[in-house]
This record gives sequence, C-alpha cells and structure tokens, in this order.
Amino acid sequence: MSVLLADPTTSPPGVHARALTKWYGNTVVVDRLSFTVRPGAVTGFLGPNGAGKSTTLRMLLGLTRPTQGAITIGGQHIADLPDPARTVGALLDARAVHPHRSAFDHLLVFAQAAGLGRRRVEQVLDLVGLTDAGRRRAGEFSLGMHQRLGIATALLGDPGVLVLDEPLNGLDPEGIRWMRSLMRNLAAEGRTILFSSHLMSEMELTADDLVVIDRGRLVAESSLAEFVQTHTAQAVMVSAPDLDGLARALGRARIAFESAGHGLRVTGADTTEVGRVAAAEGIALDELGRVRESLEDVFLRLTHDVTDHESRAA
Amino acid sequence: MNLLRSEWTKLRSVRSTWIAALSTVAAGVALSVLGASDLLAAAQSGLPDGWDPTAASLKGFLFAQLVIGMLGALAVTAEYGTGMIGTSLTTTPSRSRLLAAKTTVVAAVALATGLATTLLSFTAVQLLLGGAGLPVAGTGDPGVAGALVAATLYLTLVALIGLAVGTLTRSSTGSLAVLVGVLLLVPAIAPALPGALGDAFARYWPTTAGQAAYTVVPVDGALAPGLGSGLLTVAAVAAVAAAHVALRTRDV
Repeated sequence: MSVLLADPTTSPPGVHARALTKWYGNTVVVDRLSFTVRPGAVTGFLGPNGAGKSTTLRMLLGLTRPTQGAITIGGQHIADLPDPARTVGALLDARAVHPHRSAFDHLLVFAQAAGLGRRRVEQVLDLVGLTDAGRRRAGEFSLGMHQRLGIATALLGDPGVLVLDEPLNGLDPEGIRWMRSLMRNLAAEGRTILFSSHLMSEMELTADDLVVIDRGRLVAESSLAEFVQTHTAQAVMVSAPDLDGLARALGRARIAFESAGHGLRVTGADTTEVGRVAAAEGIALDELGRVRESLEDVFLRLTHDVTDHESRAA
Repeated sequence: MNLLRSEWTKLRSVRSTWIAALSTVAAGVALSVLGASDLLAAAQSGLPDGWDPTAASLKGFLFAQLVIGMLGALAVTAEYGTGMIGTSLTTTPSRSRLLAAKTTVVAAVALATGLATTLLSFTAVQLLLGGAGLPVAGTGDPGVAGALVAATLYLTLVALIGLAVGTLTRSSTGSLAVLVGVLLLVPAIAPALPGALGDAFARYWPTTAGQAAYTVVPVDGALAPGLGSGLLTVAAVAAVAAAHVALRTRDV
C-alpha cells in the first residue's frame, strides 16, 4: 500500500480533549472528558452504545458545539485549521451518500472542495479497491462497499489525522481484516488514527492505545498492553489426579484458591509458587497454567462499575 | 473557486437537479400556453381593458415558481436527507463559505433555467396570439425587455428563497410545505383579509410584488416594477441571511 504522507518530515498533529462537555437539555452526554490521542498509533475509542462516542467525534469535527471545554487537532479547533481537508479526514456514517450519485462524483465533490482533482479521486478509488465500481450509483452499494467509499472519502486529502466512527461495524470477516490492516498501515506511516467501537473484541487486534468512556465520562486511558496489565485479573489454573491432596497442600501454604471446573483456580500465587508447593508435597499435576480475565469481561465490569457508582451518587 | 466547483459537481451529478430544471421550463411554457389559449377565441374587441400580452404570456409562472423553489431547496435538503452534510462541513468547516458557494451555484443554475422559461414562454405565447390575430408584444416594445428581465430575476430569487427555506427546515417535505404556503396560499388567500391588511398583502407580499415587476401595463394597486423587484430581492436576501445565521449557530 502506498499512501505515504506528502511530507513525512512533519509529524501529524494529535488530538486533545480538555474538559469536553455536552449537554442536551437536562442530559449530559459528554461529561468533562479529557484525553489525548497521539500520532503514529491506532487509538481505539471504546464505550457502550450511548456512551457519547459519536457526540465526541462530532465535536472534534466541528459539527456539534461543545457546551464547555474543547477538543482540538494539534491545539487548534478544526475551523481554525489553515487547510482542514488535508489535515483531518473522517468517516462518520458510511451510508451518508446520495444514492443517485456515482461513487466517482461523490468523491469528486469533496476532492474539488479540497482543491484536488480527478487524479486523486482515481487514486483513492484504487486504494480501497473500488475502481471498477466508481461509475456505479452509490445506492447500489453493499455495506462493505459503503465503508470502503467512506474510507476513500476520508483519505482524499491525504490527512495526518483520521477519525473513523464504528468503521468495523457490519463488515464481514474479510472486510474487518482489510480495515484493520489499513488502519495499522496508516498509523505506521505516522498518522493519528482514532476509531470508535462499542465492542472490546474489535480493539484487541487493532488498537495500540485505548480511550474508554461510559456515560460521557473517561473510564480508562492507556496503551492496550497497559490496560490489559492493569485491569485483567490474573489467576492460575491447576489440576491434579489427587485434587483433594492439592487443595490441602495449598491450604497449608496459605494460598487462596477456589474450585473451578475440573481443577482449582488460584488467585493468591503465580505458577512457579503453585508448582513448588505441589513438588514439595509430592503431588503430580496434570495441568498448570495462567489464565486471564477476558477483555470483554473487564470492559463490561469497568463500564458497569461506573454505572453503579453513578446510581449510588444520584 | 474550489468550493464553487465542488457545489457545481454536487448539483450536476444528481438527476433531481435536471428534472427540476426541465420541469420548471416545461411547466412554465405549457401552462403559459394553456392560459393564453382560452383567449384565442376572443375577438380583438373582446379583450379586457389593459390587456397585457407580456404578462399574459407568463401565467405558467404560478406553478413553475414552485418547481424552481424546490430546485433551490433540494440543493441543501438532499445533503441533510442523506447525511452528507456532515462530510461537507468536515471538508469545509467554514459554514459561511459553504453557504456562499451553494447560493452562487444555485443562483447561476436558476438564472439559466429562469431565462429559458421566460423566453420560451414569451415566444410561444406571442406566436400563438399572433396566429389568432390578437395584439402581440415584441422585445423591442417599451417595457417588454425590462419585464422579461424582471421575470427571469423573479424565478432566480424564488430559487434562492427555496435554498434558504431548505437550509432552515433541513427537510424536503418541510420545504415543499413552506413554499406552497409562501408562493401559492398566502398570495391567493391573504388579499381577501379585511381592510388594510388585505390590501397590504395584495401589494407588498414579496412574491406578489415581484410579479408586478413583469407586467408591462400596470395593474391597479400594484407596486411599480422596480419597487416590486426590489422588495422581492430584499425578501430573498433576508431569507438567505436567516439561513446563514441558522446554519452557523445550529449543531448539524
């Protein structure tokens, strides 16, 4: 893939939210949200449905006005950027195309607004694999083709910052793989990639960094690795033919455990220690290994906690 | 310049623009011819006082104005309907510049459409009247050229009012309802209001005033042509200004 930045010497700007707040009537949709998105990485913007992700992205793109606070691109509001179309590209709703307009003309509209021509339209069509469908009306497109057209639109200005709202939503496995590797490649070129999702599973293979929100509030902001380290509870699964003997040995060593399936789930020690206890007691093991809480579980627990906290506070 | 090009691509690349433009011309000409044809049986002596062959040739504007108004409205409501407005405003965050470009391109398309509608309606009806031995108007006759300019301007301004209404309502059906009210219902019904209020509507309602500008023989109680066009222009500018404020201040 050759979508190199026009000028690789200048690093693309990051995205910065500061106490970003949006009220609709008496409802707070985004609540004093602060986070930073760095260039050269794929940042997953994660939250359950209705968490305020789309509203945040719309404020980033200048479509919705914050009630308080700000969200900026390289420190500037999008309307103050000298060349917005070449600085930031966005995919908000892949279906937001006129059904009677051809894909080529749809792209040409935005290319011309950015001071670009037909050549660039052909390039991005090629980039997303829609060259043959360019003259077809967008109304005939499948969801996957819509997503590709949306990505092509976002890439027209060769922007350093890409904002993608639920880009994996509704894609088939092949489409997901394509979108994922595209995002990874774009980030590897140094661009700032911010994509939202309500599914933790979509983050695991795609994101470098995570910004997790729930009910408009920040729940976590870290690298994916750090997030896993901090939030997933570790445990050791162990089993033995003489399970009762193993349980007694762990009890004597004052190691916490519980019975789980055909073995024991140990939370108070690592594999080395459990192995040592078993060896000292001469107990043969038939299974010993680390297990981790799934990220999906962590996500549900974290967003659930915030919900609980809020209802207690209310 | 880039934005004008972009807005022109938006307009030209969907069928609805061309359907609306052709419908304006076709409806204008067909209804003008139809309106003039019941005069054909009348003898020259049977024509009403103040017979104005120019105004009589533009009767089809009654419906054509609604179609060209929708052409203006659709230029913006189609973007709201499809959600494309989000992409437009991300690419061009300056809403003022976007609206200015849209207004310019719609005005240009409407001007061409309005000119075609005016000239074709006028020519067709004059041929018809001449064939029936009735008095006709020629572009060289006093006041006729001015009336035709005013008629073209009328349709162009109505398209801009449509654009403003589309921006304010953000909905095609909403725009249609508003335009039917503004262009057809109010001018038809309001003059029947009692006393000075009815007279004021009959005289100063912007589209009624604009229509007075494309008569050659002055109608009783109507504004002078220059004033009529001026009033409609002010109304169109005010509508676009209101649309501008709304576009700038509202969330998308």
